Amino acid sequence: MSKSRWLFTIFLALAVLLTACGPKATPAPENPVSTSAVTQAPASGTTEPVVLRIGWLGAPDTLNPAYAFLVESFTVFDLAYSTLTTQAPTGEYVGNLAKDWSVSDDGLTWTFTLKDGIKWHNGEDFKASDMAWAINAVMSNPDGWAAVSNYVAGFSEITAPDDKTVTITTEYPVSNMDYRVSWLYAVYPKDFEGFTTSEDLQNFTNFDIVGTGPFKMNTFDKDKGILILDTNPEYFDGKAKIDQVIFQTFDNSDAMIQAIKVGDIDMIIDVPQSAFASLKDVAGVEPVSVDGSYFDELIINSVPANHDPAPTKNPALDDPQVRLALAQSINKQDLVQIVMQDLGKPGVTIVPPTLGGGYWTNTDIQDIPFDLTAANDTLEKAGYVMGADGVRAKGDMRLEFRLQFPSDNPVYARSADMLTSWFGQAGIKTTPEAVDPDSLYAQMTPTGDFDLVLWGWGPDPDPDFILSVLTSDQFVDGGWSDSGYMNPAYDQLYLDQQAATDKAQRRQIIFKMQKIAFDDRPYIVLYYQDLLRAYRSDRFTGFIASPIGIESYQSLLQVEPVN
Amino acid sequence: MNRRDYLIRKLGLALVTIFVVVIINFLLFRVLPGDPVRSVIGRNVRISADTQQALREQFGLDKPIFPDQFLDTLGQWARGNLGVSWSLRKPVNEILLSKLWNTLLLIGIGQILAILLGVTLGLIAGWKRKSAVDVGALTFSLIAWATPTFWLGIILLAAGSTWLGLPTGGIVSPANVGKPLYTVIPDVAHHLILPTLTLTILYLGEYMLIMRSSILEVLSEDYILTAKAKGMSHWQVLRKHALKNAMLPIVTLIALNLGFTVSGAIYIETVFSYDGLGKMFQIALVKQDYPLLQGAFLLLAISVIIANMLADILYTYLDPRVKAT
Repeated sequence: MSKSRWLFTIFLALAVLLTACGPKATPAPENPVSTSAVTQAPASGTTEPVVLRIGWLGAPDTLNPAYAFLVESFTVFDLAYSTLTTQAPTGEYVGNLAKDWSVSDDGLTWTFTLKDGIKWHNGEDFKASDMAWAINAVMSNPDGWAAVSNYVAGFSEITAPDDKTVTITTEYPVSNMDYRVSWLYAVYPKDFEGFTTSEDLQNFTNFDIVGTGPFKMNTFDKDKGILILDTNPEYFDGKAKIDQVIFQTFDNSDAMIQAIKVGDIDMIIDVPQSAFASLKDVAGVEPVSVDGSYFDELIINSVPANHDPAPTKNPALDDPQVRLALAQSINKQDLVQIVMQDLGKPGVTIVPPTLGGGYWTNTDIQDIPFDLTAANDTLEKAGYVMGADGVRAKGDMRLEFRLQFPSDNPVYARSADMLTSWFGQAGIKTTPEAVDPDSLYAQMTPTGDFDLVLWGWGPDPDPDFILSVLTSDQFVDGGWSDSGYMNPAYDQLYLDQQAATDKAQRRQIIFKMQKIAFDDRPYIVLYYQDLLRAYRSDRFTGFIASPIGIESYQSLLQVEPVN
Repeated sequence: MNRRDYLIRKLGLALVTIFVVVIINFLLFRVLPGDPVRSVIGRNVRISADTQQALREQFGLDKPIFPDQFLDTLGQWARGNLGVSWSLRKPVNEILLSKLWNTLLLIGIGQILAILLGVTLGLIAGWKRKSAVDVGALTFSLIAWATPTFWLGIILLAAGSTWLGLPTGGIVSPANVGKPLYTVIPDVAHHLILPTLTLTILYLGEYMLIMRSSILEVLSEDYILTAKAKGMSHWQVLRKHALKNAMLPIVTLIALNLGFTVSGAIYIETVFSYDGLGKMFQIALVKQDYPLLQGAFLLLAISVIIANMLADILYTYLDPRVKAT
């Protein structure tokens, strides 16, 4: 045995010895919510439970839908709770608790009919009045239900005329009701009654979720990063083929990748782009890449010069020809290949093609091709003359811009370097600068103190939200407009699409909005990021790869062991 | 100055230091750029401007920093209450206590191993200067000391999980959550092997090098020559004369390291997804969770001060000259 191996063995032996004789092993779970031990007989009653172990890089902040902010919380809600409707892997909205639904001729009353045989996890029958109670709870205390209160905007009354029917009456026609109710969870009324203040409600962690979803709570030990769900044998749409799902939190992606390679876990939710390729060579591991809705964009300061407070920016950015030249100078294909490592698609409009399965994306819009000669021509014709220092100028207006990006994502630094190089070849000088994300936001909204910024969005499944970030009234403190774009015609179309209960009509309005945004260029969408996942194909099969992720409840209902 | 006066003076100084730390803690995090509410909720598309303002009021951020926020915080602390974490929505005292045990377990074992091995190696290397043992130990220690924590952790994680089947992260297996202690303890020990090993290797080099140079310095003293001339054996010279004097710098180092123990080994805890104070520090900082940050830094400051006080007290026993100064 070599000296180094000998030393290694000694260390290991000592470590084992000392740890085994160590002090108190670990404190009891802070929230001892375990209702049953992990290895207790599973729902199916087989001797060996089929357990799907999922690794992720986060953990739910809370399991209370009133106050949950992190995407991990919503992943758990998707599995444990149900909603009237849900987004299908294909992108359209289908019934979940609801068998079918209809809207009155005036577009103000929606009637949902529930499916049969729905039961709470505790065995009680689920009634329409429970659903009505849950939505009413949000409506009566929007501050307390901060995480979902946006979805009841305009709702005036919720009733349950009988055990199978829920009606929602609205103050004005709501075009995207199917999407809105897909975020309103059927929470167990007895769990959420009796909170006198919003703070009390929000401090309720709800680690013992009682829902109607296909999986029910077993354990959530937040400190140890372990969340265990058991299959709900009484699930109204047929029980899952696996017995248990365990989520395990990793604090760094390298360890998580190693865990799936050695088989410690069966599936990964957040695969880093840098590790994706390496998983292709691992026997028994299947990396999955599907089109995603997250995109990164170049934000151009579009705050009108007469806005109060006045923006601080290079006024050349108000020139449409300068914006066009910027667009002509960006090689999106290279960005996808180099920055995204080929795990994305060049971006065109602010409505990614994954929303609604592509239904909402205006594919008639032709992107501006990358052409540095054309960019130089555009600027030359617009009167921007190349200076001796390689920077174009029109009078004393030099094409010299700040190019800022949030410091928490290394991808932007790389993109900024590439953009700076291309812009430089068109006579546009940009200076990349990483800024703390919060400071950058404060600098942008509603101050308008920036030129160009690289940032990204993860849109909701319905186009309403991503369209709203370019409306004028979002450019306020706490609002979501970071470009400061203000266009009354766009704003009016935004309101129109909200009221258009006819889906085809709404689509046409949304197409127009995308065209306006594309032509005015408050954003130049750089690329849409692929959604990256991986699973052990030697152990499990049946995952549904779609933009909603292989971890969606629809997917986990189909998953089964290979043997 | 007798020992009692010396200790009283040290205790007084410690209390003053803690008070200054409390004030600096309060100010330090409030000069950070950014909005804590934004940090807590992230770029969350569901949160309206009104809701953000409601949260700001709930956190007390709508009040002026001076005097309102400052007095509120001091008042809370005077009552032994460190407040409620904004991001975790739990009392800070409770969070710190739960993480402290885990960190003490990891760092404590790692430090003890590093001290035992490092001091022993340093002693042997110094005593057998220029021998193969000395050169080998010196090379190993220098490499160990210079190795980046994150890199060593990842290498050991990959090697340990692939070849020895050791866990890739966490403190306990999901299957053992909520099980009785006799089941949990061996599992926790199993999970501790790799992070402890990483920590031991990283600290070992430091202890070894300091001990080696310290023993070399002591061995060149006249009294060692005298001892040898008196016909004492090597072992007697080492044990009775060299070791006690050579331990002084090590005591300082141990005190310093133990003081920083509660800050946890941020990198190690992150690599091994270990639920300790170090990882919590990082999360609190990213989230700009003032109550949690203040509580965590207070705990860190107190532990460093206590560790230094203990070192001072130990010095009065090891080195009689100290209490006279």
